[in-house]
Amino acid sequence: MTATRNVAIVGGGQTTWGERDATWKDLAQEGGKATFDAVPGVGPDDVEGLFVGAVQPERFANQTHVAPLVAELLGIEVTEMIARTELACASGQAALRYAWLAIAAGQLDVALVLGVEKMNLGREHMPEVQSSMANVLDREFDGVNGLAAPPFFAWYAQRHMHEFGTTREQLSLVAAKNKTNASRTDFAQFQSTVDPDEVTDSPEIAPPLHLYDCSGITDGAAGAILMSEEKAREVTDTAAWITGSGQSTMAGNSINNLPSFSGWPQAREASQNAYDQAGIDDPLAEIDVAEVHDCFSISEIIEYEELGFAERGEGGQFIEDGRSHLDGDVAVNPRGGLLGCGHPLGATGVSQALEITQQFQGDVTNDRQVDDAATGLIHNLSGSGSVHSVMVLDRDPQ
Amino acid sequence: MTDTSTDDEREQVSVPSEIEFPRLLDFYDLQTADQTQIHEFYDNLRAGQLTTTRCTDCEAIHFPPRIVCPECTGDALEYVDLPHDGELFAFSAVRGGLPLGLREHEVPYVVGVVDLGPVRLSGRIDDAAYSDLEIGDSVSLKIVDIDGPTDEDRVFYRFEPQ
Ligand SMILES: CC(C)(COP(=O)(O)OP(=O)(O)OC[C@H]1O[C@@H](n2cnc3c(N)ncnc32)[C@H](O)[C@@H]1OP(=O)(O)O)[C@@H](O)C(=O)NCCC(=O)NCCS
Ligand SMILES: [Zn+2]
Repeated sequence: MTATRNVAIVGGGQTTWGERDATWKDLAQEGGKATFDAVPGVGPDDVEGLFVGAVQPERFANQTHVAPLVAELLGIEVTEMIARTELACASGQAALRYAWLAIAAGQLDVALVLGVEKMNLGREHMPEVQSSMANVLDREFDGVNGLAAPPFFAWYAQRHMHEFGTTREQLSLVAAKNKTNASRTDFAQFQSTVDPDEVTDSPEIAPPLHLYDCSGITDGAAGAILMSEEKAREVTDTAAWITGSGQSTMAGNSINNLPSFSGWPQAREASQNAYDQAGIDDPLAEIDVAEVHDCFSISEIIEYEELGFAERGEGGQFIEDGRSHLDGDVAVNPRGGLLGCGHPLGATGVSQALEITQQFQGDVTNDRQVDDAATGLIHNLSGSGSVHSVMVLDRDPQ
Repeated sequence: MTDTSTDDEREQVSVPSEIEFPRLLDFYDLQTADQTQIHEFYDNLRAGQLTTTRCTDCEAIHFPPRIVCPECTGDALEYVDLPHDGELFAFSAVRGGLPLGLREHEVPYVVGVVDLGPVRLSGRIDDAAYSDLEIGDSVSLKIVDIDGPTDEDRVFYRFEPQ
């Protein structure tokens, strides 16, 4: 589709991420305040549309109907459109996409997108949290087998190694890159630099995946303000313009119906759709910075391939050659990714979009600034990888 | 404040000290005809055979079993037998991030993808250590009874090396 009006992400903010002494409602308020504080000239009274990304507030916080709750907490009278989006790990990007469409269609001019997740209920309740994570698959036939995320993605690592010769060392290189990037991100859950050997030596979680191959269980929120071109020009000179947005879903969510355990055809299709809209022919040459869904180290290797940065099967070589480093051909996950920042499910996509916006605005610390970043993307997968969402962002509107 | 009310005069609101295992955290579905329209799948399993639905209009085989064919929207489905022997397609052993209700002695547990030919499904692989297994290994289905937390007789399937 072609959007009818240009839409920009003008800025936003996030809470500190990690194991927080805070409730879901605390996080929503902190995230809202951080967002409004970061965008002078925009306050609750300006917001006409509110989109809240939240995956499991029913299970983790015993609360539903959360978008109106956020409206109350942040003092927003929503005049045009309100929705909560649930698309597992892609809920934040889904919220951005709704806001984009509503503005592009002329329904509204100013939207707040807020992603919030409260996941840590105390160590003794971690099994409840993991049970809820397993419900993302078909619970009756797959989740029932004790299939939370780590073993599921371990299969992809095993199959990718089996089919293409990807190595344990290459997985470690991805995790070390992202965790080290996160050491320069002040809100990140994991801020220590990590070298590849430490990844391989970290405790086994679901072989071949180790602890440092995994994103965390994270409390956090992230917010972004989206605006029509006319409004955006009033508040900022530099923004992230949404030039393409693709989503692809297969008719399959349970194990029997997945076409591949080493690749994600839907990521290829979603990115291709987004590239077509944005007029991108050669993603490796044209994308400067990419925030991709590294829920596990193997995911990023597959994403290099499916997003068109590397040939199929050569994702491992791509990281080994350092091509996804800050100073590589495409800077992948300068923020530190899900591996370094943690993964408060509903907030992740919003935080990724903020990183791209701030990269364009030169508003990140120097040591993670990508040189002359002008074109970027965010990517999220969700559930069994049955859905992939890709949004292309540009420093200039088309 | 002149009022002299103290803590020990406050009324107490009590909640149960233990809450029954919540239905929504029980991974296994209820399996009988009054609960699910795919009860025949569970009836067959209880009788010793893994089955699934096949569409009598377009002949598509589904897994998980359905009540409507996703290929042609027909609802004339029949149950057909599935092989009990298959090949291990992928596997891992879970040591961290354990869901609720797994017993200590079960950890680490192996969970894999088993290719049965017509379908490929996920399952627990019992009586095997991760390091003993390889892609392509032959495995066989076994049927297990589920003990608790409801009073119903429930069954499920797992796999074991041949
Ligand atoms: C990997 C995982 C299972 C580890 O959980 P766990 O075994 O319960 O580990 P713990 O929480 O006990 O943490 C052990 C230690 O490792 C640290 N840690 C936990 N996860 C970490 C991670 N991903 N990276 C680095 N350190 C981590 C903890 O801070 C803790 O450190 P401490 O002992 O100094 O306090 C859990 O983080 C997980 O499930 N991650 C994936 C989340 C997920 O599925 N997201 C959806 C993706 S699609
Ligand atoms: Zn049919």
